[in-house]
Amino acid sequence: MLKVEDLTVRADAVELVREVSFEIAPGERVGLIGESGSGKSLTALSLMGLLPEGVTAAGRATLDGRDLVGVPEGRLKRLRGRDLSMVFQEPMTALNPLMRIGAQVAEVMTLHGRGRQEARARALDLLERVRLPEPAHIARAYPHQLSGGQRQRVMLAIALANEPELLICDEPTTALDVTVQKQMLDLIAEVAPALLFITHDLAVVASVCERVLVMYGGRVVESGPIREVFTRPRHRYTEGLLAASKLTPRGTRLPTIKGSVPAAGHFPGGCVFRNRCPHATPECETAPALTGDGHAHACWHPAD
Amino acid sequence: MPTHAGTPLIEARGLNRVYRRPRTSLTKPGAAVHALRDVSLTIGRGERYGIVGESGSGKSTLLRLLCALDRPTSGTIAFDGQEITGRPERSLRFLRENLQIVFQDPMSSLDPRMRVRDLVAEPLVALGLPVGDRVAELLDEVGLPAAAADRYPHQFSGGQRQRIAIARALAPRPKVLVADEPVSALDVSVRGQILNLLADLVDELGLTLVFVSHDLSVVRHVCETVAVMSRGEIVETGPVDEVWAAPAHPYTRTLLQAVPTLEGLL
Amino acid sequence: MRGRLNAGLLVGGALVGIVVLAALASFFWTPHDPTFVDAARKLREPGGGYLLGADKYGRDTFSQLMVGARTTLYVGIVAVGIAAVIGAPLGVIAGMTPRGWLSELIMRVNDLVFAFPALLLAVMLGAVYGAGTLTAMIAIGVATVPAFARVARAATLQVMVTDYILAARAAGRRRPAIAVRHVLPNISSVLIVQASVSFAIAILAEAALSFLGFGTRPPTPSWGRMLQESQELLFSTPRLALWPGLAIALAVLGFNLLGDGLRDFLDPKLRRIRAEG
Repeated sequence: MLKVEDLTVRADAVELVREVSFEIAPGERVGLIGESGSGKSLTALSLMGLLPEGVTAAGRATLDGRDLVGVPEGRLKRLRGRDLSMVFQEPMTALNPLMRIGAQVAEVMTLHGRGRQEARARALDLLERVRLPEPAHIARAYPHQLSGGQRQRVMLAIALANEPELLICDEPTTALDVTVQKQMLDLIAEVAPALLFITHDLAVVASVCERVLVMYGGRVVESGPIREVFTRPRHRYTEGLLAASKLTPRGTRLPTIKGSVPAAGHFPGGCVFRNRCPHATPECETAPALTGDGHAHACWHPAD
Repeated sequence: MPTHAGTPLIEARGLNRVYRRPRTSLTKPGAAVHALRDVSLTIGRGERYGIVGESGSGKSTLLRLLCALDRPTSGTIAFDGQEITGRPERSLRFLRENLQIVFQDPMSSLDPRMRVRDLVAEPLVALGLPVGDRVAELLDEVGLPAAAADRYPHQFSGGQRQRIAIARALAPRPKVLVADEPVSALDVSVRGQILNLLADLVDELGLTLVFVSHDLSVVRHVCETVAVMSRGEIVETGPVDEVWAAPAHPYTRTLLQAVPTLEGLL
Repeated sequence: MRGRLNAGLLVGGALVGIVVLAALASFFWTPHDPTFVDAARKLREPGGGYLLGADKYGRDTFSQLMVGARTTLYVGIVAVGIAAVIGAPLGVIAGMTPRGWLSELIMRVNDLVFAFPALLLAVMLGAVYGAGTLTAMIAIGVATVPAFARVARAATLQVMVTDYILAARAAGRRRPAIAVRHVLPNISSVLIVQASVSFAIAILAEAALSFLGFGTRPPTPSWGRMLQESQELLFSTPRLALWPGLAIALAVLGFNLLGDGLRDFLDPKLRRIRAEG
């Protein structure tokens, strides 16, 4: 359904995302994990045609055969919010503070050709579908009257309004408290038609998705079923990340990855991880390809 | 300053903090918000004390009171036997020398217009202590090259910036280090480095650590004692392993169940 | 301080640069003595060493424009200087104690001055202390204080809620040190932009005052007074009004463009987006 081939995102001469390819089948929930500078958010934004000024995408991405990259804004506008939609990290800034919730949910439907009356009625159904208590009451409220978790549910209702084929979520629970996060994650997993879920949190991605893509330095370095990738990581970065995210008992030292994530455009050539990798050899100066069926990795010296 | 070996290092009794919202009506005063309700705690010398809570739990307010950056509506805080509440800034020198803070986001807690040298030396300059070679010494202690002193914060990565913030906090040789969510703005791959560094420094320098976090599992790795906060109150307190294994308060149980862990999911 | 050069900055900088160059050059050289009255050259047409011709007293227009630039900058610098030196500290104090009585007092007095028409103030001062360049500069300066105070206060309020101010307090810094070490450096770009915009307003005000006869007094050349003197000949010899008018317009435009350009150049929010994953 979603097919991404050799997606490359550039700002000036700096390549922020390099030759990323993946597919999402209908009903599939795919996680995209990475740290700051990994290019995970830019990957999502380029699919939505929402890249910031000065940043351009090349390559090919199609949703059911319709091109998403390199097409005029006018055509994307018709797809965006209808066939694919997105939930962002910060629910406060993504909502218009001067508009009632119900009107904001209805607006996205009237924009794509639904009648005003029908949209209003459907907005209430949607608010109920994202499990907001008393939808009629919420619909009359303004964003600031809701809690962070409630606002994020409203964002989800807006994203689902036109029955999209694909839902993209970018760190949708990072700004929320842990006790609210769990319900939100369960809800997303339940209502998403097909999901691309972007996060830096390994445990979060494991609780929502079936398959995962690990990004580092603008490249997908490993991909496969969550359970396999997380229990038998092949790429050394994934391996290090998993080790670093486990908190050992008090008094013991935490396993770490040496150095720090380079700034955008300062990743080494060849394997992007080689300057932090304990297993790097001269061979790693050549970029390894992402190989393997199902569980793929891009590493010259993979873990067993 | 004389140390009173018998007294606890930090002792807070019956802290309340009420904020008043700006008024929205001409006839009624603004609504009162109880950020802290009757909070008491005792932190011993050399203890690693964790404070856990979600947003709005009052943990940030409590932290500000302990650091004398805000005043309680009622209640008292004694540091090493000396009362700190209600004192003017000029007579808080003993506290500033002995208690320093590392903030959550090193991007916003380091003045973007200052060089690392001046940032690290600032507590010394402010307290009138000699600077000498201390900046180079401190940068070395936190694992940064001496050349870092001449650069600006934005030239460093998040983890390096947090190291700068730690070096700055250690400058006046404090007894207590207060860390406010020091790793929650960092990437997972550098989180371990900063937690290891903090543990090493606390050991080597014999510091008392007050560690605030929203994540009980991080607190469990770092601290011995924990206080769980919810809605402005401490709902549970005790050795962290006991609280982890057998949470007594319903809120603590909810908190523990809500955190997704890889071990639990795979 | 990194930013991108933009059109406003370049064009504004160039226009301001021309004014500054003309003013500096006039100290050493002008084509003719700008104050030399010569009935023989009365209303002389342009040409023959008189690039822009001469006025009704036979004074060379080009030389007058050059020296007038000096007057204009002089007034602008002193007026903006007065405004910045008084206004910025008041704004910082008000911003650092947003709920105190002092802040209230500062801002309400500020409102009073702001509500008072600047030209009226200048005319009053002129009537009491005698018209002249100095009176004009002080009047314009005092009238510009509120603009600086407001901008400084708004910027200070934003700086005061940042973590690095909290961190400075925790490090043991007292208020005066925080104001000098942290607040001022972080609001300086806002103040520079304000200075540039205020400069444009000061130029206009000085021209208006001189036109009304409350500004620079003869024989010191001033663009505003050149306009006034050309008034009666507006229809017979329009070039006498055209040149000083154009000079004022371009100088004001230059400082405004420079202000806008600096705003874009210095504002971190508009700076090149940092590529985040």
